[in-house]
Amino acid sequence: MFRKIAVAAGLMAAAFAAPAQAQSYPEKPIEFIVPWGPGGGSDTLMRIVAQGLTEETGQAVPVINMPGVGGNVGLAEFAKRPADGYTISQIHEGLLVSNQTGITDLNWDSFIPVALVASSPQYLTLSKNDNFSNFEELVAYAKAHPGAVRAGVTLGGIPHVHIAMIEEAMGLQFSYVGYTDTGERIRALMGGNIDIAIGDISSAKQFVDNGDLIYAAVGTEERTDDAPDVPTLKELGMDAELVITRGVVLPKGTPQETVDALEAHIEKVMQREDVIKLMKNAGADPVFYGQEKYSAYLDKLNATIAKLVGKLEG
Amino acid sequence: MLDAFLAGAHQVFAFDTLTYMLIGSVAGIIAAAIPGFTVTMAIILTLPLTFAMEPLQGVSVMLSVYVGGYTGGLISAALLGIPGTPSSVATTFDAFPMARKGEPGRALSLGVWASFFGTVISTIVLIVAAPPLALIAVKLGPWEYFALIVFALTIVASLVGNSLIRGLIAGVIGLGIATIGPDPMMGKSRLTFDTDLLMPGLPFLVVLIGIFAISQLLSEVEIHGKKTNQALIPDVIDFKTWKVMREVLMAPVNLFRSSMIGVLIGALPGAGGSIANLLAYDQAKRSSKNPEKFGEGCADGVVASEAGNSATAGGGLIPMIALGIPGSAVDAILMASLMVHGISVGPRLIMDHADLAYGMFIAMIVSSLMMLVVCVASMRLFLRVTDIPKQFIVPTVIICCVIGAFALNNRVTDLYLLGIIGLVGYGLKSLDYPLAPLVLGVILGPIAETNLRRALMSDPDWTTFFTRPISAILLAAALLSVIFSVRSILKMRKKNRPATDEQDGD
Repeated sequence: MFRKIAVAAGLMAAAFAAPAQAQSYPEKPIEFIVPWGPGGGSDTLMRIVAQGLTEETGQAVPVINMPGVGGNVGLAEFAKRPADGYTISQIHEGLLVSNQTGITDLNWDSFIPVALVASSPQYLTLSKNDNFSNFEELVAYAKAHPGAVRAGVTLGGIPHVHIAMIEEAMGLQFSYVGYTDTGERIRALMGGNIDIAIGDISSAKQFVDNGDLIYAAVGTEERTDDAPDVPTLKELGMDAELVITRGVVLPKGTPQETVDALEAHIEKVMQREDVIKLMKNAGADPVFYGQEKYSAYLDKLNATIAKLVGKLEG
Repeated sequence: MLDAFLAGAHQVFAFDTLTYMLIGSVAGIIAAAIPGFTVTMAIILTLPLTFAMEPLQGVSVMLSVYVGGYTGGLISAALLGIPGTPSSVATTFDAFPMARKGEPGRALSLGVWASFFGTVISTIVLIVAAPPLALIAVKLGPWEYFALIVFALTIVASLVGNSLIRGLIAGVIGLGIATIGPDPMMGKSRLTFDTDLLMPGLPFLVVLIGIFAISQLLSEVEIHGKKTNQALIPDVIDFKTWKVMREVLMAPVNLFRSSMIGVLIGALPGAGGSIANLLAYDQAKRSSKNPEKFGEGCADGVVASEAGNSATAGGGLIPMIALGIPGSAVDAILMASLMVHGISVGPRLIMDHADLAYGMFIAMIVSSLMMLVVCVASMRLFLRVTDIPKQFIVPTVIICCVIGAFALNNRVTDLYLLGIIGLVGYGLKSLDYPLAPLVLGVILGPIAETNLRRALMSDPDWTTFFTRPISAILLAAALLSVIFSVRSILKMRKKNRPATDEQDGD
């Protein structure tokens, strides 16, 4: 998390620019509830989107951080706000997992998904150890020694789902150790207190470059520009996508024309060069899925998580 | 190496850098002096300003805010009896009684000098021993963290005040409070009774402000036949800077021990100034020949607590400069400022940007000197606070507390919690329950729980706690600490017994 604060800082630097002219919606500032704390991945990326929206619409889009209970405090507050398009919020995979594990009653369909805007590739990251130094060796070792490989995850969180997907696809058995954020997990990997974890570019690349940690695989469709030597899980024979996606949502009951207007604004934001560049600096891929594609994505993901939920409640 | 050193020095000693650092130092001191405002907040506010500066210049300014902030908490701790930051809880124990006894100038001067020397010592350790210390800090696993927290929990014995039982109860209440809200591993709700109020848990800062600030302010307005327009501390503006400096240096063992505790705790990612502050105080009390004087305005207590928290500043930089792992939230923001300038802070920082690393060492020393100059120069001004009548100062401080508590998470429910916790704190205080063990429980509880669960998940065999050497040493230290406390309590009882017998005879 600490490293993400760092990235967030970069964005504040970029937050000075002149607004463009306004259209019918929005006619006043839009409050953007980010249900996570300042400096986290969501905060960083949503501040980029908020800044882009300000420039695109000419209205201020203040980000309000409401952290607590894995995003559920802010989303619960958001669900109570008027459905007029002047309060927007953001969700990621974590909400779907919290819903499945019973932490919250809210799920993705408690809101109107407007647009998916950022996708952060997740890497299976290994500590330096004597037993394995790449994906194949990890699989072979874990097959021979069930339960011996310690995986650092956020218990009941999305990294837990990701590791469970690998476990299931390859027929392995890991033992899980709970860590609350990526920075902590990377530290534990460095200290050899765990053997594998899910990491990303902003938290782990320095250590991989220095030879302290190893990226064994990346969960994207194709290899990434940041780490072109790292094979995808697909290449390694596993059909699974390990990414964290973040998208903008509106409260249920928002008029369709408002939803469409916001979607159009966000689509333009996601074509802006400065937004694309900042997002890449923050370690995420800028993307745009509109309402339908985003809903379909969330629906499919929800089914995957529902299938794995038994594994998460250990 | 000399080139890099000179290049770093050249940048820090530029006129504009020094000017900004002076402003930063003042800002840090003021922010930390206001209860409810933390050093972290001050540094986050400084961050955007550093974007326009050179990388080293920006970091130097932030370091000056940081170092100033570790001292600023002393001011409200000494003059109001309220810790200005979470890192100055133990400072209130002796600095406040000393001020109430008519020596506020001495209390502040002692704290300022202790902070200065603490920062300098920590910087020296940082320069000399950063790489090996950082490697050890990263290798420590959940077993060591849990053992350390068990050891830290034994501090309660030093904080119990008049009654061991009431002190232990307060500690247990603190541990209990820490279990409310989402559990630290899975995020499952505990003891929240499905209320919005309790669902996010009780944030540490809210508990701290409620317990210390609100209860202290409430007791200030109690009427004991006194006029309400009275000042908090009767008018004495007297401080002897150099005499106090000698006094601090005359107890080098205490100063050095407290600073080393600060450095080591600071170097552990996740632990911080608040633990160092309490631990240094506890160790000073235990090693003192006159432990009974602690809590009544003892100079050693002020020195230990302030040297302990200030030394965490240098300690926190150890894993950051050596490995690129921030030792605290503030270090993370420092890294942010560097990353904005395209400097990636990682294991290669010292090799790739040696001038920056040396410049940071120099900036630490310069920051501590600036803090010293600012504090000594404005001592008279701080002491004027004690002249302000209660009817003005109490509401002002309450407003600051409320703003600070809200700014933390933007949650209105946190303000209700603040009110409730404040009343509970006032009630406990009126019943002569010590409040420090409660806060200690809230600080340590979640760290203990997380690491215990993590340790048992990594390795279900609980004997690992005894077979890993550092963990075993810390647990043994905890055991010794308990034995020592029991012995000294028994001794005290024996000392007091003749007096009680006499009373019974009457």
